[in-house]
Amino acid sequence: MRFSSSRDIRWAAAASAVALMVGGCDKAVGPFEVLPPLEAAGLDATAGNWRMIVLTGPTQVTVAAPSATTSAGYVAELDAIKSAQRNLTQAQRNAIAYWSGGGVLRWNQFARELVARYNLPPAPRSDGTYPAPDAENPFADPNFPFANPPYAARAYSYLSAAQYDALKAAWHWKFQYNRPSPAKVDNTIAALMPVSELPAYPSEDAVLSGVSADVLRALFPAAVEEITLKAAEQRNAALWSGRATASDVAAGLALGKAIAAIFVARAGTDGMRTAGGTTAQWQAIASAVTAQGEIAWVSREIPPRPPMLPFFGQVRAWTMAPSDIVAERPASPPSTSSQQMRDEVSEVRRTVEGLSRQQLAIAFKWNDGAGTYTPPGHWNDIAAELIRDARMGEVRAARTFAYLNMAMHDAAVGCWEAKFAYYNPRPSQMDASIKTPIGLPNFPSYPSGHSTFSAAAAAVLSYVFPDRAADFDAMRDEAGISRLYGGIHYTSDIVAGKAHGDRIATYTLSLARSDGAP
Amino acid sequence: MVCAAGVSTLASQAVDDGDLLPRRMLSTSVVYARDSWDQYWEGTLKRQNGNIGTLTTQSVTWVSGYGVTDRLSVTAVLPYVWTEASQGTLHGLRGVQDLTVGAKYRLLTEDTRHGAISAFVGAAASLPMSDYTPDFLPLSIGTGGGRAAGRLTLAFQSNAWWFARASAAYTWCSNVTLDRAAYYTDGQLYMTNEVAMPNVVDYSLSAGVTRGRWRIPVTLVQQRTLGGGDIRRQDMPFVSDRMDFTRIDAAVMYALPKGLSVRVGAGHVLAGRNVGQSTTVSSGLSYAIQF
Repeated sequence: MRFSSSRDIRWAAAASAVALMVGGCDKAVGPFEVLPPLEAAGLDATAGNWRMIVLTGPTQVTVAAPSATTSAGYVAELDAIKSAQRNLTQAQRNAIAYWSGGGVLRWNQFARELVARYNLPPAPRSDGTYPAPDAENPFADPNFPFANPPYAARAYSYLSAAQYDALKAAWHWKFQYNRPSPAKVDNTIAALMPVSELPAYPSEDAVLSGVSADVLRALFPAAVEEITLKAAEQRNAALWSGRATASDVAAGLALGKAIAAIFVARAGTDGMRTAGGTTAQWQAIASAVTAQGEIAWVSREIPPRPPMLPFFGQVRAWTMAPSDIVAERPASPPSTSSQQMRDEVSEVRRTVEGLSRQQLAIAFKWNDGAGTYTPPGHWNDIAAELIRDARMGEVRAARTFAYLNMAMHDAAVGCWEAKFAYYNPRPSQMDASIKTPIGLPNFPSYPSGHSTFSAAAAAVLSYVFPDRAADFDAMRDEAGISRLYGGIHYTSDIVAGKAHGDRIATYTLSLARSDGAP
Repeated sequence: MVCAAGVSTLASQAVDDGDLLPRRMLSTSVVYARDSWDQYWEGTLKRQNGNIGTLTTQSVTWVSGYGVTDRLSVTAVLPYVWTEASQGTLHGLRGVQDLTVGAKYRLLTEDTRHGAISAFVGAAASLPMSDYTPDFLPLSIGTGGGRAAGRLTLAFQSNAWWFARASAAYTWCSNVTLDRAAYYTDGQLYMTNEVAMPNVVDYSLSAGVTRGRWRIPVTLVQQRTLGGGDIRRQDMPFVSDRMDFTRIDAAVMYALPKGLSVRVGAGHVLAGRNVGQSTTVSSGLSYAIQF
């Protein structure tokens, strides 16, 4: 070989340049919204008296009186905490840091993750049919559930409403018994999570672990292991951190699980099981629309897929009776043979063909399609950061998420009822030359679900955070117009959906304004 | 469909071909390529998708090279790319993709009884030249983000009519930014618009014939992405997926008079993960002038 020393130098330089490129940069991306330790802005000491959503009252589930802080049993519990605190591992400290960000916020994040994980439609079989997810066999392909937007709206609402009722009940018993947290009773116990004047019995962390895990296990049965581990970690963190003793935790867990059972029983009979309907049922809807001289929606997927949850409009709402759902249904969309429809189809085509990069970014920002946490999840994401920044205590955070998600669930019920009443075709069905810059949802067009969800969410968030109302309105409008940019909705879908969402939110808001919370 | 896809299919051919331009020679090429697939690997599951049909990616690529010295050449590569699905409603995308600038240096040459062995080092960097979205795969025109690659090539040119070559490269991929606030990949929800892109290695072995005005190489290329998730069941591909493939390429190059040369090529993916089983055909025209 004819290496000279100068060549050796060049070679070394080249090799080190490569090595720099290989190892020179840290690219790690953290998965979570950062949640600092929650120092709640208020105790909400009256929350035990706030109106319940499903429970008959705060004493529907009884919590027995705790033993005195001077009892031998309680002192032994304190000793157990001290012993645990002397030997904390890094993993235990990490768990404490994680849960100190707030139980309601953490469970909300986790619910969004579960929705994103399970929000995938079944793949077609080789014969062109689609298997249905099976709640009795949730691990199979397709997984159960298909956490599409209506399913997700319902799931977020059950989790949030159950947490809200459970925490109000917990607050009732906390202030009834007034047993302080162990770090307050014994100053040799370190407060490794923020400890307030909030009485510790029953433990709010344990209540949240019990109610959240049992509700989520019912909604996402294939995630049983992860849900169970997370709930156990939350209870352990409450113990290790000096915020709750074993009896605080045990009472909280029992209360949370008992209240979860009430909500899970409601979910079992709320109409979700039959929301998929049968082929004959949804084909009858198509026939009725055709008989009126209108073009009926058809699936544009290949092979054609049954419409998404055609009878979700019959699922029980939180704040609206079935007659309210029908009464609030938007007026008919433009006839598929009308000039207005032709004009709106051509508006969609022109929009998509002339789409700017900025408009495409808006379509992507709000797409929240398959594989994501859905539009209701997006609004939870928005709310979570505001709840964090406002340092809402657990019961206050639960109230915000509960009303937000109840309104979006009712929006899903109302929107789906209207979609399957009108069975209106998508723009790309009216004009096959319209290609969509985002995925085309597999259900009828009118009214726009994004617009309905977003109007309902913006109305609730404007009630909770009035200073930000203009921002929420702008987001709502952007979410709505994003569907025109995406080539999947006409302007009338968006206008009608927004007005519909506003009307639906008034039901939740009248409940919120009269629930006794200051 | 890969972090390095933009460069690995086109630019790397320019970067790893082992050929240096003579000193003060400027070469400019225009290459048209058409890549299509109707089957892809969803993770490791090979399947078709009625909502895609056949996915076709076409490109016109400008390639320029210049011989700085007899042992150092520099290259620049810029493709214009457009995509289309034959079925379903999804809209194709089009635009100027990534500019790659590279340099290739002949480190040493050793003459043997049968021919010459040479070793080359190369480095390349690329950046998107338009604000295209990487978040609409398989219809996105690229994966966005910047890349930097280092390559080592060993080449043997026989005294007779054949040659052989082995090459390996490591490509560092910068993080990319999406137009949305959260995404799910590799078993986890990420509540950020920033995506950590896995780095990529590729290896190639080629052999071929050089006779008179003809040059005919056949190349086996393997790409391995060092991380990333699999496409979930019935999900869309994601920009940071683990995109691996083994592909065979063949080309025929013919030197015309007056500095012109033509090239036709074909490639086929033999095995893959989170990529389409694509077949590529390409043709190009080059013009070289000596200053």
